[in-house]
Amino acid sequence: MRGGESGEPLVTSTLEDSRLWQVITHDEMPPDGEPRLSEQEIDLLKKWIIANQSMFTSGDNKAAPASIHEVLPILLLRCVSCHGAQRTDGDFDVRSYQSIIEGGQSGPALVQHSPDESLLIRRIETEQCPPTDLLLKFFVKRPTETETNRIRDWITAGAPQGNVVEDIATEQPDALVTRADREHWAFQPPKRPADAESLDTFIQLSQNKTGLSFSPQADRDTLIRRAHLDLTGLPPSVQQWKHWREAKSESWYESMIDHLLASPRYGERWGRFWLDLAGYADSEGGISADPIRPVAWKYRDYVIQAFNRDIPYDRFLMEQIAGDELTDHAHVDQLTETQLNQLIATGFLRMGIDETGSRTMNFVPERLKVIDDALKIVGSGLMGLTMECARCHSHKYDPIPQRDYYRLKAVFQGALDEHNWKSFKQRKLNYGTTSQQELISQHNPSLDKERRKLETEIKQQKDQLVTETLRVSFPNQAEQDRSDTLAALRIADNQRTLPQRRLVEKLQQAQLSDATQTAISVQQIQQHLEDLQNKLEGVQRRMAPPLTIRALWDQGYASPTYILRRGEHHLAGRLVGPGVPSALTDGETPFVYAAPFPEGTQKTGRRLAFAQWLTSKQHPTTARVLVNRIWHHHFGRGLVKTLENFGRMGATPSHPELLDWLAVEFMENGWSIKELHRTIMNSKTYKQSSRVSEKTVRGDPDNRYYTRMPLRRLDAESLRDSLLLISGRLDLSMGGIPDPVRVSSEGDVSIKPTPSGQWRRSIYAQYRRTEIPSMLDTFDYPQMGPNCFERSVSTVSPQALLLLNNQQVRELAQSFARELEQLITDQHGINQQNNESKLDQQNHWRHIIDLAYQTSLSRWPTEQEANLGIQTLQMFTNQWNGDASKALESYCHVLMNSASFLYID
Amino acid sequence: MQVASQSRRDFFGSTSQGLLGIGLAQLLGSDLKTSEVLANDQIDQPTFNLQPKTTHHPPKALNVIQLFMNGGPSQMDLFDPKPILNRMDGKPYPGNVEEIGNQSTTDIGVMMGGQYPMQQHGQSGQWFADVLPHTATMSDDICMIHSMWTDHPNHDNALYKIHSGRLFMGYPTLGSWVVYGLGSENQNLPAYVVLSDPLGLPKNGTRNWTAGFLPPVYQGTPFRPTGSPILNLTQQYQQPRTVTEQSQSLLEQLDELHRSERPHQAELEARIQSYQLASRMQLAASEALDIDRESEEVHKTYGIGQSPTDSFGRRCLLARRLVERGVRYVQIFLEEQPWDSHVDLASNHRAVCERTDQPVAGLLKDLKRSGLLDSTLVIWGGEFGRTPTSQRSGKIYTGRDHNMQAFTSWMAGGGVKGGLSYGKTDDFGHQVVENPVSVHDYHATILHLLGLHHQDLFFPRSGLDERLTGVSPPRVVHELIA
Repeated sequence: MRGGESGEPLVTSTLEDSRLWQVITHDEMPPDGEPRLSEQEIDLLKKWIIANQSMFTSGDNKAAPASIHEVLPILLLRCVSCHGAQRTDGDFDVRSYQSIIEGGQSGPALVQHSPDESLLIRRIETEQCPPTDLLLKFFVKRPTETETNRIRDWITAGAPQGNVVEDIATEQPDALVTRADREHWAFQPPKRPADAESLDTFIQLSQNKTGLSFSPQADRDTLIRRAHLDLTGLPPSVQQWKHWREAKSESWYESMIDHLLASPRYGERWGRFWLDLAGYADSEGGISADPIRPVAWKYRDYVIQAFNRDIPYDRFLMEQIAGDELTDHAHVDQLTETQLNQLIATGFLRMGIDETGSRTMNFVPERLKVIDDALKIVGSGLMGLTMECARCHSHKYDPIPQRDYYRLKAVFQGALDEHNWKSFKQRKLNYGTTSQQELISQHNPSLDKERRKLETEIKQQKDQLVTETLRVSFPNQAEQDRSDTLAALRIADNQRTLPQRRLVEKLQQAQLSDATQTAISVQQIQQHLEDLQNKLEGVQRRMAPPLTIRALWDQGYASPTYILRRGEHHLAGRLVGPGVPSALTDGETPFVYAAPFPEGTQKTGRRLAFAQWLTSKQHPTTARVLVNRIWHHHFGRGLVKTLENFGRMGATPSHPELLDWLAVEFMENGWSIKELHRTIMNSKTYKQSSRVSEKTVRGDPDNRYYTRMPLRRLDAESLRDSLLLISGRLDLSMGGIPDPVRVSSEGDVSIKPTPSGQWRRSIYAQYRRTEIPSMLDTFDYPQMGPNCFERSVSTVSPQALLLLNNQQVRELAQSFARELEQLITDQHGINQQNNESKLDQQNHWRHIIDLAYQTSLSRWPTEQEANLGIQTLQMFTNQWNGDASKALESYCHVLMNSASFLYID
Repeated sequence: MQVASQSRRDFFGSTSQGLLGIGLAQLLGSDLKTSEVLANDQIDQPTFNLQPKTTHHPPKALNVIQLFMNGGPSQMDLFDPKPILNRMDGKPYPGNVEEIGNQSTTDIGVMMGGQYPMQQHGQSGQWFADVLPHTATMSDDICMIHSMWTDHPNHDNALYKIHSGRLFMGYPTLGSWVVYGLGSENQNLPAYVVLSDPLGLPKNGTRNWTAGFLPPVYQGTPFRPTGSPILNLTQQYQQPRTVTEQSQSLLEQLDELHRSERPHQAELEARIQSYQLASRMQLAASEALDIDRESEEVHKTYGIGQSPTDSFGRRCLLARRLVERGVRYVQIFLEEQPWDSHVDLASNHRAVCERTDQPVAGLLKDLKRSGLLDSTLVIWGGEFGRTPTSQRSGKIYTGRDHNMQAFTSWMAGGGVKGGLSYGKTDDFGHQVVENPVSVHDYHATILHLLGLHHQDLFFPRSGLDERLTGVSPPRVVHELIA
């Protein structure tokens, strides 16, 4: 009857509140693998609970609160907005026992033993507090009657302080997570397996057991294309391809890998995987306005740089989790770039959906959702531990008590404190290096003027467009109606009167009408608007970036953290302190933390201590989770298939010793991710052919033993970036504000070109949650909700439709054709083209086809492919009425659709 | 396949670890067989497609047409008459205004009586406002749920809730779950089609048909009423037809060469099929959308060719043509949120009724005539209802605010009891007092009608089995089912 660790009695006065009843009916218990209770058994239990309700009624009316911690959660939830860290109205602060007893300007808050005489109770019961008109402003709701009665009971009992100590790990063995629980493979630190020579030893060993062996090494062309796409997300240029295929050195392959790792394109590809994990987005999400995050890109650039510079992974994590506690930024005169990056890095914890800047969505549950997202990313993404279940109840399968979720929450409480909240609008810092500050003061004032001017002009032109659209479609409409339409557009759609709605509707019809679509006057305005818009974007690009940083920082104070029963924000249970998941420790080590700058800015140091623990070489999962991710991206599958779950419900590792070996090597190599790539890519396993033989398909149908390299489709970005590259339309400039997108009236979302008429790599496209570029979306670009641990790969017909029919893809095919013609001209001089004889024409086609294959597929065409090409080009030319250029466009378009292009051997 | 003959429970019981992927592949029965033959590198990863799947129990309905009434229609003005409200018109709200349930209490007005005369219709005697004369004639086919309630008074969140069961962004919608669970009867058309208003997207835009964390193959596909119905369905550039045909032939030959050198790669086979489907879809979609093939009589039933019913009528007729061709889930939207009447409710609601009433009734009649109504579940409703009090806007009090505590939705066909009025609200139509139906209950009931059990329809993600209806068990409202 006293219940268990989640703090609730198993049986209560009502059936619905009974924890026992809940776990059974909610299918939480018995655990999977155990038979479900039969209907009769459930029925019996139900009768028993109901029959005994009267017995428990007294138990439900808990005894009077014996400690401040039974009423403090109520005061935090209902009162702290006005009486806490951010405001202290009436000099009354509810955050500590001392300050409650002291009261405020109006006198003591309570009279012990006399709730009726206590100001605290009177203010609540007369509804003076919280004041009606401030409820929404401060996102609070009134205490419920039960809550007020709890406070009453506490005062009646003499307002005892009690001596509750927070629940933290001590040197006493943990009672909730047993030694047996810790025996799960992933909870043991990785150990270097004895006599291991290389990665291949482990793979070969597993193959030998089943009579299998490696496939032969892939040919040189295949290796060149595979490595380039794998490390940079782009195929090699023809020059690069020629260079590597003709390289004489025995170690040409290793040199190529080194060369690719040194390319800035590497960070743009491998940084992207990290951004998936972090849930990078350029908008807040949540509410339908989906507000833009103006400076989230600084975090994106930080990640790309970190990968390119091969920042050791332990350092990389340290910065992202506790960058604000590494340097006392407020007390440094001139910040270095490294110090600044530490703050930008904390953006990692700010990437999830955050709607708390909205006018109505900043209540405690919404804040808890933001915190939960951050914990999920840290738990699953970095530790391979799924902790979400433990938000509401102790984990069903893994030894993660609910307590551990809230201890982890307490680690972040100094920064993400639902009772001392900063909405996304308030949560930003302004720091910069001296040179950045100078840039701003030099460039921005005049540009800002220009920007404002353009914005005004755009506004005017938009009105103009509305008026002209109406004039063209409804020439007889009264002028007054047209100006009324403009006025109606300025009113929120749900606030319009019927006549206003009708006017707007009429405008919408006009916009769809043929008259509008064809009117030159409308088109002129549209063109003018677009020019202005481009100018504006140009100005924005030229402006020095603002100093604003989307950071997370410790506020120097953390509200107490309570276990929330069933995860409900108003059902506070036991008080807990900061700590790490017990299963990942020996269960007998306290979590030690200290303020990092005792002489400087006040900070709790909790996240710093956590980051230090996380990046210790003894940590059982940190290195394993990362090497497994890298492996997954190289081979399409992790050694542990469930990348985000190393717990008991996760997959068991296919090659546990290899995983450990890689993890230990990784740490001993200074947590170098580039070194890890070398280890993997220089292996025999990686260099295998992807061809499936009769033997391997029978002995190893699902490639469990890595008897071949898997065949893989280009992912969304690699596909788009490769198309741009081979068409000569890829702009390789890096970083800065994201490239805006445009939404067509048909709903097609496309990325706008740069002023040069080219496009930058997909990683630089604006990722607005509600406007995901259609092309990327079609090819499985992830939705960030809040992040993406693993992308799915689909093969669906909209992909075919897009590559076959889309206007932009066609444009790229045209550019590809022009590129090829240019190359041919460069190589053979102009005469070749003018020669009309049939043989020469065939030779010419053959040259072009060779070049096309080299550019797009990094190989020569086979004879058969070349012949098919020549025949087709001939036919195309006839069908295009002798226009060989058009014929080549059509041919290039086919190559861009071909399986050879879309798949990597 | 042996596994497929075991029940899910037995299967879980006999396996120890790492069974999530297999459990799911088993749920999608037929796919495993394909991979077995083709020996795929991804054999232990489930394949996601739209092949028809087996139901958990015999279904009552095969298809769904969702008539989504974005903005929140007013229950007390349309279906749930409240005489007391009429008598108290203009008087202050008798209770604590904070009970109204909205976050802002500053602009709450006074009690507001029903805006239209109401009559009882059909043998069932259900109430309809006189602004819904056509729908009223179908009274005995309509199953009214007066006791719907939701968890949030904001459009954004309430829309997420009614579509995906969650208050937040990023979760799969009902339509996605349905096609994930059932696949489709027609492989030449998308399984889940969205017919949004040519005048513009609804509030929350494409998130009303997102697949969330489910694979994108289960996402709703918007059909446009004019021009090319699906994005990229037709060529967006000029090229002689013979070149296009020749291009296709070249592509087939090149891909065949590519594939023949790479045996045992199921992925490549799937890709070739997706290109074939793409060309079949071009034909099938154009045919399905060609409503000129329907008689004038039919056009009239839907109010096509006359203002203001034409646009909504077309979408209703399209919906019928799509379910007729095996499309599993069709969703119809209005632009923005026309039901959201904070101002001028009487005329604003009347205008929306004028646009939708005849088409909706026409759809029901037409489905009934062809016998399709037996297997097609039609659902009508918005994301929440409206308050019994008026709301201040500037200086006027002519509209109602959002009410998450009670609203009316209705269902017809697909195995529900026509003529049933289910659930009750209080004297003001403000709160549910009898037989409450939560959004989860509503979803579970729809799944049940389609032969799916809410508990057995799940998707493993980050160590959790995600379900449309969340963790707490919902109630299938059996009372609604015939």
